[in-house]
Amino acid sequence: MKTQCEEIEKLIGAFLDQELSQFEAERVQSHMQGCPVCSKEKEELEHLHGSLKGLFEARASGLAFEPFWREVHRRISEQKPWYVDLWDGFRLNFHSPRLTWTIPVVIAVLLAVLSLEQFVPGWGLMPHRNNVAAVESIDSHGLNVAVLRESKTKTTVIWLFQSQEGEDESSEEPSSSDNTF
Amino acid sequence: MNLLRNLVRATILFSLGSALSVLYLEAAEKGQQIVQLSIGTILASNETDNFDPKLSKLKSQLEVIKYRSYRLIREDIQKLNWQSSATFDIPGGRSLIVTPEEYRNDRLFLKVRLLEGEKPLLDTRVSLRNRGNFLLGGPPHEGGVLILSISAMTQ
Amino acid sequence: MSIRAAVELSDWELVQRCQAGEIEAFQELVARYHHKVFVVILGILNHREDAQEVAQETFFRAYKKIRGFRGGSAFYTWLYRIAVNLSIDFQRRQKRNPMEFRESLDDVAERQEESGRDPFQNLQDKEIGKRLLAAIKELTPDHRAVIVMRAVEGLSYKDISRILGCSEGTVMSRLHYARKKLQEKLGPFL
Repeated sequence: MKTQCEEIEKLIGAFLDQELSQFEAERVQSHMQGCPVCSKEKEELEHLHGSLKGLFEARASGLAFEPFWREVHRRISEQKPWYVDLWDGFRLNFHSPRLTWTIPVVIAVLLAVLSLEQFVPGWGLMPHRNNVAAVESIDSHGLNVAVLRESKTKTTVIWLFQSQEGEDESSEEPSSSDNTF
Repeated sequence: MNLLRNLVRATILFSLGSALSVLYLEAAEKGQQIVQLSIGTILASNETDNFDPKLSKLKSQLEVIKYRSYRLIREDIQKLNWQSSATFDIPGGRSLIVTPEEYRNDRLFLKVRLLEGEKPLLDTRVSLRNRGNFLLGGPPHEGGVLILSISAMTQ
Repeated sequence: MSIRAAVELSDWELVQRCQAGEIEAFQELVARYHHKVFVVILGILNHREDAQEVAQETFFRAYKKIRGFRGGSAFYTWLYRIAVNLSIDFQRRQKRNPMEFRESLDDVAERQEESGRDPFQNLQDKEIGKRLLAAIKELTPDHRAVIVMRAVEGLSYKDISRILGCSEGTVMSRLHYARKKLQEKLGPFL
């Protein structure tokens, strides 16, 4: 009985608001007829509703229409600068606390993601770009050297030429007449 | 109550953001004091058609050189400070000395010297992207040629 | 367009006339809803002058945006939505203590006597009114909004949910919570 009371008690407000389905409303009504606790709860809520309505209407009374409309009309007639409208529109549409706090959360998340790159070597947001290595200077001490760059992979290759005398028969590399090794 | 809750939220978020910024900047600053050099010593030849699976990441680069087989002989990694030198043993009595000189515009400038015994074969200064690499090849070895994949990164 | 003729027009017909540029049609809409809007805003802000200011701003904004109103919802839910959003926005921006409540019941009673109405006629005791006001002060703006829209304006849960942009279940639970809090404060006076 107590459990049913707790369940029904949560529905009494919606019952008074006529927001329950017919089935639920009949169930609540039927329970209250046999339960003085819930019946009293209903009376208290009705009393509360009446008091609230009276209080709010009292507080809001005395609002004259003519001066109210005059002020609204004045605002309509005045032209606000476009940037004030824009700012007002922004504030009006982005008042939600969730949206407000989205910005600092996004900043914090971005910082965390960028920081990961420092703690997890090799992990990066973007794939490695352009692998081009530039040869700033080279001295092969009299030996033959070629610097190649392959266009597809952008790989820089520094190749020391083997001398003709020491050339491997199976090698397909061009040979040089100079001794290199 | 709402004001207090919002103040607490704002303080937490701001502190989190600041802490992360500081950590990020500190890590970035510390990381750039250390250079990691990786040297892969590869034997390229036409004796077989085998491609070492350990070299899969370099496959597209090695195909430029057009040997039929590639085998990773060894891989060495050393971490060192800027302006210090690291020496790597290269098969055939050779050695490779690499000195990271400076870091500028996301590029590392390296001084590279290849020696055969005491005899210098090559001195070069190369700039490459952080975590990038270049290939140095040609010295003959065991019926093929050696190709060194030289890469560097600053953390 | 005479006022007499305007009375017979529906809200949507008046809106369409506003969209066509007839300010008199908008005046009629203001006449219909200014008090209702004021009640809801006053319930949230707890301050008469501020509520008046926000209510006037509500209608000003509504006029500016009326060309964009397509009739997808009832005019009054659209209007209340502007009012509630502005009220909550105002509450956040105001520098004074949002819980400050300077209006005493005596002020209210005095105003009622001047206007010829005495809404406390049905109240057994002024103490109920004082306690109610104190209890309402402790509710959040969201809870105040639902209790005013339901208890005073008699809006359905569906309408309230559309105005506040939440589910009907949320409206129901907020109402239940608000009522419980008010009941606790009123105690034996109910």
